[in-house]
Amino acid sequence: MRSRTLAVAVVITASSLVVAGCGSKGEATSTSSAGSGTLAIGASLSLTGALAREGQLTKEGYQLCQDKVNAKGGVDIGGTKVKLAIQYQDDTSKPDVAAQLVDQFNDKGIKLILSSYGSANTEAQAAVIERNGQVMADSAGADNKIFSKGYKRTFAVLSPATEYASSIVKAIADLATPKPKTVVFLSADDGFSKTVTEGGMKTAKDQGFTVLDPQYFPSQTSDVSSALTKVKGEHPDVIIGSVHLVEGVAIIKQAKELGVTPAGFGETVAPPTPDFAKTLGTQAENVLGSSQWTDATKGTDKYFGSAKDYAKDIQAKFGHAPDYHNAEATAACLAFALATEKAGSSQPDKVRDALSGLDTESFFGKIKFDPTGQNIYKPMSVIQVQSGKALTVWPKESAEAKMIWPGTHQ
Amino acid sequence: MTAFLQATIYGLLQGGLLALVAVGFSLVWGVMNVVNLANGSFVILGAYVGWEMHEWIGLDPFLGMFVAAAVLFVLGYVLQRFLINLVVNGPIFITLLLTFGLDLLIVQGMNIAFSADFRGIKTSYASESLAIGSVRVPVGRLLAFALAVAITLILVAVVNRTRTGMSILATGMDRGAARLMGIRARHVYALTFGIAAALAGMAGVMIGTVGTFNPSAAASFTLMSFVVAVLGGLGNMYGALVGGLVIGLVQAWGGQYLPGTWVNALAFLVLIVVLIVRPTGLVGRAYYAARVEV
Repeated sequence: MRSRTLAVAVVITASSLVVAGCGSKGEATSTSSAGSGTLAIGASLSLTGALAREGQLTKEGYQLCQDKVNAKGGVDIGGTKVKLAIQYQDDTSKPDVAAQLVDQFNDKGIKLILSSYGSANTEAQAAVIERNGQVMADSAGADNKIFSKGYKRTFAVLSPATEYASSIVKAIADLATPKPKTVVFLSADDGFSKTVTEGGMKTAKDQGFTVLDPQYFPSQTSDVSSALTKVKGEHPDVIIGSVHLVEGVAIIKQAKELGVTPAGFGETVAPPTPDFAKTLGTQAENVLGSSQWTDATKGTDKYFGSAKDYAKDIQAKFGHAPDYHNAEATAACLAFALATEKAGSSQPDKVRDALSGLDTESFFGKIKFDPTGQNIYKPMSVIQVQSGKALTVWPKESAEAKMIWPGTHQ
Repeated sequence: MTAFLQATIYGLLQGGLLALVAVGFSLVWGVMNVVNLANGSFVILGAYVGWEMHEWIGLDPFLGMFVAAAVLFVLGYVLQRFLINLVVNGPIFITLLLTFGLDLLIVQGMNIAFSADFRGIKTSYASESLAIGSVRVPVGRLLAFALAVAITLILVAVVNRTRTGMSILATGMDRGAARLMGIRARHVYALTFGIAAALAGMAGVMIGTVGTFNPSAAASFTLMSFVVAVLGGLGNMYGALVGGLVIGLVQAWGGQYLPGTWVNALAFLVLIVVLIVRPTGLVGRAYYAARVEV
C-alpha cells in the first residue's frame, strides 16, 4: 500500500510541478476587437512565473506608451485620430503559452502584437506571427537566432544578443587601465545567454584578450559556486556573466564567499536593474553591465521627447527610476504607432511595410530595421554601478561618469 | 585538490540548507501521508517575513527566523485544522490537489503583496568567509548549516522524548489506536503541519540571507523537498538531513567534474538509483509500510 501510494505521489507531484506554470491562461480582455476609434494591439506578457519581474516592467513600458499616445489624441491613421487599446494576457513565462496567446489574438482579429519578455517566448511567438500573417514589434527578444530564420514580420527595437557582452568587452578594452589580459565567461545555458557568450568571446579574442573556456550553469539557478570554483584557479582578470538577474546576483555573492577576486566583473541584464544594487548593497559597486537604454541616450520623438523626459514620466507614473526593460517596451509600442501613421492604415501588411521602411530618431535612440528585422543601428551602452546607481560609462560621448578600474579590491 | 575540498565544503553547507527546507515536508508526509506541495511557498513566505523584520525593525535574520517560524506555525496550524483536515482521509490525489491549489494561491498572493522583485536580506557578515588554507568557508552558510543540523536534532529529540512528539508518532503509525488512547488526532495533525510550516519558514529566512528569492522560486523548493525527502526516506527524522547532504554533495561534485548544466539531472539520477536499490530511501524505515490508516 505504502509503496504504491509513494509511486502515485511521485508521478503526480512531478506532473503537477510541470503543470504549475501552465495554470491560468490570463486575465480577461477588456475589448474583443478593434472598435471604432481604437487600434487593438495584443500583448502576451510574463506576469507570473519566472519572468514576472521583467514581464511587469515590460507591461509598464507598454502602458506608458498607450497613455502618452492617447493623451495626444491617439495615432493619426489616414487623417483619423485612433486611440491605442493594448490587450494584455499572462503567458506565465512559458514559450508555448506565449505562442498560443498570439493565436488567440489572431482568432479575435488582432493582427498587431507586442512581444512577450525574453528570447525564448519571443522566438516561439515569431513563428506563429509569420504563419498567421500578423506583425510583431519585439521589445525584448534579442537572440540573433530569431532573426536568422527568414521571418519578415518580426521587428526588434533592441540591439541583438551578440552585442550584450561584446559592448562590455569593448568598454573594458577602451577604458580599463591597466588593460586586463584574461577574460572568462560564466554563462546561463538558455539560448539567449549562449548567443551572448559566443558573441562576447569572439569580440574578446578580436580585442586581443586571452579568453578562457566558458563555464555554463542552468538558467535561473541561484547557485553558481561550481563555475566559480572551476575558474578560481585560473585567476582571470575579468569575469563576464552572460546572465539574468538571479544568476547575476549569485555570481557576485558567491564570488565573495569563495574568494574569487578578478580585477572586475561585467554582467549582462542584471546590473542596470534596480533590484541588483538593492539586493547586493555595497557588493554591487563597480560591477559593469550592458544596457539597451539609459537616460543619457540621445534622440527625441514627438510622443516621449528625450530620454530624460521619458525617465521623468516613468518615475511619475510608476514611482521608480526607469529600467531599460521599460524603455525597450515603450520603444516597440512607439514603433507600431509611428508605422501605422506612416502606413495610414492598420492593415498588417501595410504596417509591416511601413515598419521595414521606418527610419526615425526617438527617446530610445535610432530605430531603423535591417532586412532581418533587427535594429542593428542602435548601439548598447555600458553602465557601472557607482554609489548604488547605474551610471553610463561607455560609449564616451554619452558617459555620465568615468569607469572605475580595477572594480574590485584585489 | 583544493577545488575538490572547496566543492565538498560548499556542497555540505548547501545540503544542510536543503535538509532544513525538506525536514518539515518529510515529517508531514511521514505522519499524515500528505504530500505538501505548498512547502516551497511556505519557504518563500518565511523569507518575506524575515526580510520585512530586517527591513522595518532591523532584526537580524538569525533572530527574525523565529518570528517567521511563529507566523508560519500559526498559518500551518490553521490551514491544517480548518482546511486540509477536511480531506485528510480522502485519496492522496485530493490532498495533492488541495496543497497544489494552496501553493498557487500563496505564490500569487505574494506576487501581489510583495511584487515579483528579487530580494535578499543584507547582513554585514553573511557573505564573509573564513579562509582555511586555500579553502573558503562562507560564514552565512556555515551558520545556516549549523542551525539546520541543530533544528533537525531538536526535532528528533522532541518527537522521540516528549509526550507531544510521541503522540505525533503514534498518530502517524495508527490513527485509530491513537484515538482510542485519547490522542486528539485533529490537534496532533494540525500541530505537525504547523511545526513543518515553521521549519520551512526558518529555512526561507536562511535562504534569503545567503541568496535571493522571489515568489516564483517556490516551485523549485517544493521539488527539492520532494527529492530530498524521498531520497532520505520517510519515517526517520534523519531522512531529510541525510537526503539533503547527499543532494548537496552530488550537485557540488557534479558541478565540479561534469558540465555545469547537468547538476539538476544528476540529482534526479541519484534519486532514481537510490529508489531502485533501496525503495524506502537511504534511511527510511520499513515499519511505516505496515502502518494502519483508519
